[in-house]
Amino acid sequence: MGRRSGVLWGLLASVLVLLLGMAAPVWADDTLDRGVGSEWSSLDPHVNFDAAAAWIQMDAYEGLINFDEIGQIIPGAAEKWEASPDGLTYTFHLRDGLKWSNGDKLVAQDFVNGILRTLNPDTGSEKGYYFYSTVQIKGAKDLAEGKVKDPASLGVSAPDDRTVVIQLLTPAPHMLQLMGGYHVPPLHKPSFDKYGAAVFIDPAHLVTNGAYIIKEVVPQSHVLMEKNPNYWDAANVKIPFVKYHVTEDVATELKRYQAGEIDITYDIPLNQIEDLKAATPAEVQIAPSTEITYFSFNLTHEAFKNIDLRRALSLAIDRETLEGKIVKGEAIPTFSFGGGFTPDYKGPQIAEATMTQGEREALAKDLYAKAGYGPDNPLKITVVATISEDAKRRAQGVALMWKKVLGVETDVQPMERKAWLDAFYAGTWDVFSDDLVGDFAGPETFLAYMRPSSEPGYNWVKPEYDAAMDEAAKLSDLPSRYVALAKAEKILLDDYIFAPISIVPGRHLVKPSVHGWGDSAAGYNNSQFLSLE
Amino acid sequence: MLRFLGKRLWEGMVTLAALVVATFFFMRLAPGGPFSKNRKVSADVLEHIKASFHLDEPVWMQFGRYVWGLMHLDFGPSLRFRDYSVGDLIAAGLPYSLTIGFWAIVIAALVGVALGVIGALRRNGAADYLAGTVGVIGIAVPIFVIGPLAQVVFALKLAWVPVGGSDQGWRSLVLPVVVLSLPNIAYISRLTRSSMIEVMRENYVRTARSKGIGGRRVLVGHVLKGALLPVIAYLGPATAGIITGSILIETIFAVPGIGRHFVDAALNRDYPLVMGITLLYGGLLILFNIATDLVRGWLDPKVRGHG
Repeated sequence: MGRRSGVLWGLLASVLVLLLGMAAPVWADDTLDRGVGSEWSSLDPHVNFDAAAAWIQMDAYEGLINFDEIGQIIPGAAEKWEASPDGLTYTFHLRDGLKWSNGDKLVAQDFVNGILRTLNPDTGSEKGYYFYSTVQIKGAKDLAEGKVKDPASLGVSAPDDRTVVIQLLTPAPHMLQLMGGYHVPPLHKPSFDKYGAAVFIDPAHLVTNGAYIIKEVVPQSHVLMEKNPNYWDAANVKIPFVKYHVTEDVATELKRYQAGEIDITYDIPLNQIEDLKAATPAEVQIAPSTEITYFSFNLTHEAFKNIDLRRALSLAIDRETLEGKIVKGEAIPTFSFGGGFTPDYKGPQIAEATMTQGEREALAKDLYAKAGYGPDNPLKITVVATISEDAKRRAQGVALMWKKVLGVETDVQPMERKAWLDAFYAGTWDVFSDDLVGDFAGPETFLAYMRPSSEPGYNWVKPEYDAAMDEAAKLSDLPSRYVALAKAEKILLDDYIFAPISIVPGRHLVKPSVHGWGDSAAGYNNSQFLSLE
Repeated sequence: MLRFLGKRLWEGMVTLAALVVATFFFMRLAPGGPFSKNRKVSADVLEHIKASFHLDEPVWMQFGRYVWGLMHLDFGPSLRFRDYSVGDLIAAGLPYSLTIGFWAIVIAALVGVALGVIGALRRNGAADYLAGTVGVIGIAVPIFVIGPLAQVVFALKLAWVPVGGSDQGWRSLVLPVVVLSLPNIAYISRLTRSSMIEVMRENYVRTARSKGIGGRRVLVGHVLKGALLPVIAYLGPATAGIITGSILIETIFAVPGIGRHFVDAALNRDYPLVMGITLLYGGLLILFNIATDLVRGWLDPKVRGHG
């Protein structure tokens, strides 16, 4: 080897030596590292609409109520509350001595201001519908649509510093589900008035009222949070720092978890779930979330006006095989639409649920023939789905089953999410691979969405359903309301305007050193209830 | 020289203007919009949100508004990342992409040229075959295979460097820089080798040798100077591409650069961000091409005359 190339090889060797000489990483164990998937849209608590950023928000802001580690309602900023006998007025009593993170006194009006800002059209928030649709607060809709400007017209008021009163137009026993830090974060007016919405990403001036304060925000990278010493329950907050990492790529997130860079992941790669469950079962945390998948039929198309055909298509889907062997995302097969999110709701009797798959397929074949289709005259349809891995697998699996059981010829058309959303209203589909994320863990959020009056996109005409839902909406105690909702759900399911498929789970890997993790359907896992060993 | 520069800059401006017009209008042909996210929001409320970003105006008016903003160096607000303007996002991400891109280019140029020179001097020797093999692997094996493999070996098994992220200083840079430089090392070494072999046969090299100039001086002063021309022609546009970030590298190694915006902004229909990123990339590409021409003109008298 010549002298010149010797120099060059030396260069290469020195690069290698540099690589070899590096020590193993040292980790600060007072920090909880959590993955949040793709980056949050906004850290503005009145605008943020992302499930992932909701974790950050729940750590930074406390609502009137809070959710414990298994998603149950516990007192938050309010120590107690009561509803009027007609279920139309809720009165919340705040704790004594509440403070913002900068030491300012936290008063009832701060919560009123938070809701007002969410509804204010100038805020540009999509979240206002929680207050005019999911529950109907007096005056909320007119304020959100900009028809009325007077803040006094809103049925949320603060008669004194420690009392928040909320007036509803219709009883809503699920009201409390919408009173947490994600839905009703209070507004610290002095800092907001001075710095505007930019304050929410400005740790130097941001003031919060939750268990943590935001210390550092790096777009596309992370949000670092530190324990808030002025939080009323600071004595019970065990982890000093929480770092939320953007984990866009699920495969990279898994490797970062395995390398110890992340303690709690946002998701688990579908093709790794089985291996991980075998290797480290205790670390795999999979539990139902508030997302349901279903295949909607286009009722404006002649073929789908036939209910026998719709039912045949629904029956021909072997949901167990589909989710367990094809999608493999641990989703829970379902025949209902509002059930499975809370054990208190029993739902209606569903004939399909008690049949064997063999019986379902036999009935499907009969109905398919009755609708006028057969080997010589097969149904030809398109299914529009998103390009996400599980949605594609699910649509292709369903197409396969329709082909096998009925001989239906299905063309699956995967498209990116924005185009998929547009396609829904354009109606350019026979079958729409749909999914819906509920606003809380209960049947009503799903059933209310299907009201023809609230979602015209399904072209479903059913005054009986609207009437049954109106009937349920009059009831203020939960058990009798659930009975009424089950009646409404029966009307919905009996029309087979869609085939319910599965309840999507939350999938997380949680390090054994993290204690206090629980299954929360609505996905609330506040860091304040966790501890590190 | 100044006239050449002025002319090229003017041409660059015209190209950028055409790019702005084409991107702005083509982007809006794609189905879906930035706020077709939630089907539950009342139509009136959605209209108001759109109006606050002027998305309710006719497209030509939006275009006028955008161009007016550009003249004031305002790239507009991001529609997906509501807390930031497009300028903020580029300012936050570009340093990461620049750092990784800069080191990747430096390593690629040094190692690539070195391998190429060795290959050309010791043709069909062991070093040449080694360089050739590295070259073929670098070109043929995609980043999304090498990247995860490198993570498993160097981060998971050996724990020398982190898997990803940006919170461990220079240690976070090692894997993305090395993996990003690999395909470029491969290209540059192949280019250098073939160009060297060609130049070594040139008459002026033979003349220099016959004049009795030492082997080393001929190699550096004559052969390498000539042989590097195609490499520099490649480096110009490649640098623009590399320093604006690689979507694959940034996704695999969780780097908070701007490369991810190239694809994500389009998927999210974040119109101003798509425009900002396209303009940045287009502008850099034009600048680096001009710089390349200047360097080539300096190295090669033939180019200078035809500016």
